Amino acid sequence: MLTSIIAGLAAGGAYALLAVCLVFTYRLVAVVNFTGAAIGATGTFAMVMVNELGYGLPIAVLFGLLSGMATAIIFGALIMRWFSGAAAQTKAAVTVALLVGMIALGLRLTGGQHPRAFPDLVPGAAFEVAGVIITKAALVSIALALAFTIGATLFLNKTRIGLQLRALSERPMTAELTGIPARRLSIGVWAVAGLATTLAMMIIAPQRAPNFLTFSMLVVPAFAAALIGSFRSFGLAFIGGIALGLLEGFAAGLSSLAQYRSAVPFLIILAVLLWSQRKARWDEAR
Amino acid sequence: MTKTFFGISVAAFMATLGIFTAGNASAAGPTCTDGKIVVGAVATETGPADFSEVTKAAKATFDKFNADGGINGCTIDFQTADDKADPAVAAQAARDIVENKGAVVMTGSASLLECAVNAGYYDKQGILSVHGLGVDPVCFNSPSISPVNVGPYTLTTAVLQYASSKLGAKKLCGIFWIVGGTDEAYKGAIARWEKISGQTFGMVDLTLPFQGDYTPYVLKARDEGCDAVVMNTVEPQIVQMVKTADSQNITGIKWMFLAPGYTVQVAKTLADTKQEIHVGTEWEPYTDAGSKANEGWNAAMTAAGLPLTAFTQGGYESADILINVIKSIDGPVTRETVTNALHNLQPVNHPLVGTPYTFGKAASHASSQGTKMVKLVNGAWQVETPDWFILPTE
Repeated sequence: MLTSIIAGLAAGGAYALLAVCLVFTYRLVAVVNFTGAAIGATGTFAMVMVNELGYGLPIAVLFGLLSGMATAIIFGALIMRWFSGAAAQTKAAVTVALLVGMIALGLRLTGGQHPRAFPDLVPGAAFEVAGVIITKAALVSIALALAFTIGATLFLNKTRIGLQLRALSERPMTAELTGIPARRLSIGVWAVAGLATTLAMMIIAPQRAPNFLTFSMLVVPAFAAALIGSFRSFGLAFIGGIALGLLEGFAAGLSSLAQYRSAVPFLIILAVLLWSQRKARWDEAR
Repeated sequence: MTKTFFGISVAAFMATLGIFTAGNASAAGPTCTDGKIVVGAVATETGPADFSEVTKAAKATFDKFNADGGINGCTIDFQTADDKADPAVAAQAARDIVENKGAVVMTGSASLLECAVNAGYYDKQGILSVHGLGVDPVCFNSPSISPVNVGPYTLTTAVLQYASSKLGAKKLCGIFWIVGGTDEAYKGAIARWEKISGQTFGMVDLTLPFQGDYTPYVLKARDEGCDAVVMNTVEPQIVQMVKTADSQNITGIKWMFLAPGYTVQVAKTLADTKQEIHVGTEWEPYTDAGSKANEGWNAAMTAAGLPLTAFTQGGYESADILINVIKSIDGPVTRETVTNALHNLQPVNHPLVGTPYTFGKAASHASSQGTKMVKLVNGAWQVETPDWFILPTE
């Protein structure tokens, strides 16, 4: 039992990292970004394709990170240009549409089902516990998620730009009128989130089914984790991600539960939504 | 076309001739109205899978036949449709091809769900399908469909039998990704192996998710003490499972995959794995450059500019078989005469498969019962069984 729970740790690190990136985008530019993982997938595939062309790993990684960042900036600019005044639901719907388009296009451009050899950026095993080998990649992704959680929290609460960004996401019009450079800051947020997601995806890619679709759909467990933090708390999103990974491992270990394993994120999303609405009256909740 | 195949086709031709000449003594060979014989196919070309190579290979084979003048002034008009892995689209496509386009037979179809959706309809219409690539269990369990491929269920049994009888695996396990109602078919495949081998199966897990972390599954196989693990996943998931096994330092497990794993990309991607990987193929291994059996197919695909893959083997074989069936018909080629010819078809030895292709009036068809096993060695596939490994009949 312990073995299967710990076996979920690697997945947990990945979910946590992606979840923290989602919370980051939501809190700072008020967009529920369904393309989060797909942006990372774009950069990761760009990296592997450049690597296949014969360029060394450092150049490939740099190119991949820049591609992921560029994709995020393009999406950010697009949403700001046409949907800056729109409701959060509308912006979320736009990212869903973008995700569907990206998956269709991504699968075609990256060779569909045919796998590509993703290089191990962080190769090797760290240590063994309860019969499970914890890879260095898993540790690095957890550490990165933690660093990003702490960094983002400090940045928002302690820096002047953080303050401006908070103002921007909550009262965009007022913030702009007080002279906050809305466009530049928002693009910056998209760029950072794109960069972080791409880095996360590059680290976890070798242990995942190397396919544009499966990478992009990692956004689902990440959403469940972000929801645990109500899309506000970085710390809770981090914990949610790790817990979700462990829970999936636990479910896979129990034969009676294993077939419902992929439903775990959805159950969590449902439970959190019901819990958060528990005090709402019917009219308000609608 | 090889000599043996030609010889058998001639024999089949003569046999069918005997049936038809009684009613139509003046005709010699097939005839048609408007110089066209409409043949249809439904394939999944977009969506979760792309099987378009199967229909492209069938089309190339028909095009070659047409370019060579067809037969008695008749050419084949090949009508294909993409079902997008959507049942409603698949049903619509089959009705359009059969009723509006007037297809006399289906050939080279390759779909995730076409059989399940259309088998009943084909039965009612009295049209048969020489299926190019059967995937869902109905393809192998219907009177109107006879696939040229082995299929995942028979192949599961064959791969298990190979692991237990030739690789000396004692404890066999299976981890399956279940789509739709395929669990019964895989359980049936395991039961069939138990019947053939007289052994009992080790551990079976039918819960593998399409995406998610595979570490718990790899550890489960290790902790259960499995010698060999059969898996039915497709390329990306195969790579993921093997990489996960490597990262957990798994040793002593023979990973047995089904035909989707047999691609050049999988071999390249897993070039430095420490795991022992075997794959069961559905046709003569296409990566085997020196294979005599592949010559006809190889020349046809190269001439048409199509890739040399297992999918094009399926398309080529089904079209090749159909052309010979049409040639054997004496008189007008209609849905009735083609159905009749297939119902009376003598077993066809095709060089690409291990057991003869049959149709006939049986309630279910799974004529291909042989596989050639390949093993991953230094990033390339090595043929382990130069002769076909054929499942014994229980």
